[in-house]
Amino acid sequence: MPKAQLFITCLGDQFYTSTLQNMTRILERLGVDLAFPPGQTCCGQPLFNNGFEEKTRPVAWNFLQAFGQSEASIVGPSGSCVSMVKHHYPSLFKPGTAEHNLAVDIASRTFEFTEYLVNILKVTDVGAVYPHKVTYHASCHYLREMGLKTEARSLLNRVKELELIPLQEEETCCGFGGAFTVTFPEVSRSMMENKVRDILASGADTVVMCEPGCLMNIAGGLHKAGSKIRALHIIDLLANMDSTSPDVGA
Amino acid sequence: MTNPVIENVRRSLGRASQTPTGPRPAIHHARQAESIDVEIESFLSEIKKLSGVGRSLVPSDIDSELKALIQEQNIRRATVWETAHLRQLGITEILHSLGVELISPNADKHEMATCDLGVTEAEYLLPETGTLVLRSSAGKPRAVSLLPRVHLAIVRPQMLRADLHQIFAEVKDDHYLVFITGPSRTADIELTVTLGVHGPRSLYVWMVGR
Amino acid sequence: MTETPTYIGFEEYSEHVPAGIPPAVQQATNRFISGRAARVAELPQWEELRHIGSDIRLHTIENMDVYLSRLEEKVVAAGGNVHWAETAEAANQIVLQIAREHHVKTAVKSKSMATEETGLNHALEQEGIQAIETDLGEYIIQLAGTGPSHIIVPAVHLKKEDVAEIFSEKLDLDAPSDPVELARIAREVLREKFLNAEMGISGGNFLIAETGTLVLVTNEGNGRMVSTMPDVHVAVVGIDKVIPDWESLTVFLKLLARSATGQKLSTYTQFITGPRREEGEFGPKEFHLVLLDNGRSKVLKDPVGREVFKCIRCGACANVCPVYKNVGGFAYGWFISGPIGAILSPQMLGTRTARELPYASTLCGACADVCPVKIPIPTILRHLRRRVAEGDEFATATLPTLPRLSAGFASIALAKNWIYRLGTLFLPTIMSIFRRGNWIANAPYPLSRWTRGRPLPAFTAGFRSWWRKAHSREDQDSTR
Repeated sequence: MPKAQLFITCLGDQFYTSTLQNMTRILERLGVDLAFPPGQTCCGQPLFNNGFEEKTRPVAWNFLQAFGQSEASIVGPSGSCVSMVKHHYPSLFKPGTAEHNLAVDIASRTFEFTEYLVNILKVTDVGAVYPHKVTYHASCHYLREMGLKTEARSLLNRVKELELIPLQEEETCCGFGGAFTVTFPEVSRSMMENKVRDILASGADTVVMCEPGCLMNIAGGLHKAGSKIRALHIIDLLANMDSTSPDVGA
Repeated sequence: MTNPVIENVRRSLGRASQTPTGPRPAIHHARQAESIDVEIESFLSEIKKLSGVGRSLVPSDIDSELKALIQEQNIRRATVWETAHLRQLGITEILHSLGVELISPNADKHEMATCDLGVTEAEYLLPETGTLVLRSSAGKPRAVSLLPRVHLAIVRPQMLRADLHQIFAEVKDDHYLVFITGPSRTADIELTVTLGVHGPRSLYVWMVGR
Repeated sequence: MTETPTYIGFEEYSEHVPAGIPPAVQQATNRFISGRAARVAELPQWEELRHIGSDIRLHTIENMDVYLSRLEEKVVAAGGNVHWAETAEAANQIVLQIAREHHVKTAVKSKSMATEETGLNHALEQEGIQAIETDLGEYIIQLAGTGPSHIIVPAVHLKKEDVAEIFSEKLDLDAPSDPVELARIAREVLREKFLNAEMGISGGNFLIAETGTLVLVTNEGNGRMVSTMPDVHVAVVGIDKVIPDWESLTVFLKLLARSATGQKLSTYTQFITGPRREEGEFGPKEFHLVLLDNGRSKVLKDPVGREVFKCIRCGACANVCPVYKNVGGFAYGWFISGPIGAILSPQMLGTRTARELPYASTLCGACADVCPVKIPIPTILRHLRRRVAEGDEFATATLPTLPRLSAGFASIALAKNWIYRLGTLFLPTIMSIFRRGNWIANAPYPLSRWTRGRPLPAFTAGFRSWWRKAHSREDQDSTR
């Protein structure tokens, strides 16, 4: 039985309780033995990306200690957060130290959710049903830093009754960029409005993505535009079962 | 002999020696030529894509082709490179017989600027991009392919080379070369493509002697 | 744009972008991106070319002194003159000196970003020398008195009606709003200048050390005019443009035009080695190469930052950048814009003047995907952000106090999980004051900067308690 530790991310923790619950349900239904280290806080990406490398180190150390108690894999619902751990944590610590060794070890077993499903568990059909027109926004770090180009589509293609519609400029940044929304709010807003315009033009009634950050930005933008289009994390879409799917229960 | 800039560079790089740290990284990918017919076809097709006129001719066609060009482009004055091949084809004589005034290719730039047509050869041709390679000398003035609004290049199949590599190997010691790929163009105003901004507006390339 | 800036306020500039700029810039960038995509698809060896191009540029940067020495030796052997300019001011003085010696009244210029960097036109005009830009886009913005909005098509933000108005006013004629006609007018006016100017000034795309050859790439033919018609040709080129040999150039020529505009090759590529050779030959009698340092040699100290010098000035990074496409070139405050500007200006001007630029990005990485020489732009942006935020061996931190304190506070709160969890306990309650349904439309500062653009979702923070309840039997709380 595969074992995994839940990496809930700070945004997930604050804003996306039901997404995290759905992630738990889906993984448990797939037979994963889950743990949740409560000492976790944030991966430190907002500090690191803004140049505060010294200040990131203690935050990263907290993560390593929280997840380092177990040898199980680590799974998170965000490509950018996972990328922070996988690609940047080792560089924060001096090579040859125990901290560095732990960082390298943890980096090697931390996975993004769709990556874990498709590439580790080798699962693309989770029994989901979603009879809607869906369009997909490819988040930047998920796509480019993690190199996850096909995983989301593999999962969406197995969702029953889902019609996947192309999104114009699918790979163009939505303008979230972490602190960017707060450092350059006007530019961020323009980028978000471009993305919303493309989503509205797609003809879909749902837009799906794999990043809580993008979701916050795009969902907010759609709401502000008065649109009825649902913005979902892929986990929430995949959690839609039909009456024949086994029920995990709350 | 050194100077402050090179000294600064050397110091910043932390280099003591005067030799490179290693060889320049290797380069591969020299394209190999296909059959001569395919190469000629590619070349002329690229010229066309660039809004140039590319034709394959025999020497006896030149008379009528020149007549058509003169009429089409309303040529009154022309200047021609003084090369053996162009002399052999009798270009200046034909133009003269068509009533075109001939200006010496060594005339000064102001006179040259009044010409409507400039006729040159080329040294090399690149089929992949439809490029003409021209040298510069007293007998092959640069201005002839630059100042007149129509540029006619009369070329031959043996000038074709498969790739930049082959051409560069042959020309690197020249003091001046120009690679011409189509007529002069710009898209600076609202991205509307306009030909003939400062260089020639029309480019004719005649491949003679297949 | 001819003055070296003392402070680049990207935030301020980006909040006052004229309405016409983003659509015009996006039209240009979309055209170039689709052109590029078509050309890249034609070359199965594209990725390999990028890799080789990157390696050659890195090798050259690491041995720049050797190649610059060789370059000088060869140019001089070819009968050319080489001048070394440590600063922008020095470069301008060198050109002025040459101009004085030749009693130059009019100089014609083809596009040269190096001379924009040094403000050469201004220096020439102060001496009563007319310096005329001849690249159509540069000519238009010179007449209009504005800066470039895009690296390749600097006047793209102007409509044809605007250009007609500028021509009519500055050239004292009746110009129609037709791009073909306007180009014809420019051709006529500038032709007269080309034929009568005493000096031609150009930039340079590459400098081949092997033979001392200047490579000049243009589409319009003005580069040829400027380097052929006047008796004196002066090329002002940054030292980072040097490449080892002709073989290297095969790679860069295959990468450049395709990346920039989607052409296979630009219309005119010239290879100039010294002045004309024969008496009866057309061409300049004198060739002067002015090699510009202006802070480049200092940047070479930084092994991460100096990868910026791999740049071959194609503009592809700007064409794909969603930030650039929404603000245009002016917001970057200097002669170079887009992602490459965001990593070059802070290194050359310093992180006091350009401290905002490294942050003018979401680190989306689209630029790194298209850079023909694989410059790791997001990595360098982060590297420079660190210089601004915390300081490094090259500069002290320049970030204002408030953001630095906030980051310090955040670091503590996120590193000590009891503080974080305490905050998580209270935050939803506090934020519920601002909550309407599932959204927070107006949050207090600093979150107000978010809610300016779109609402925040409600703070729910319910997972931890849910997990505890749902898994209380198997709960393995780690003690601290």
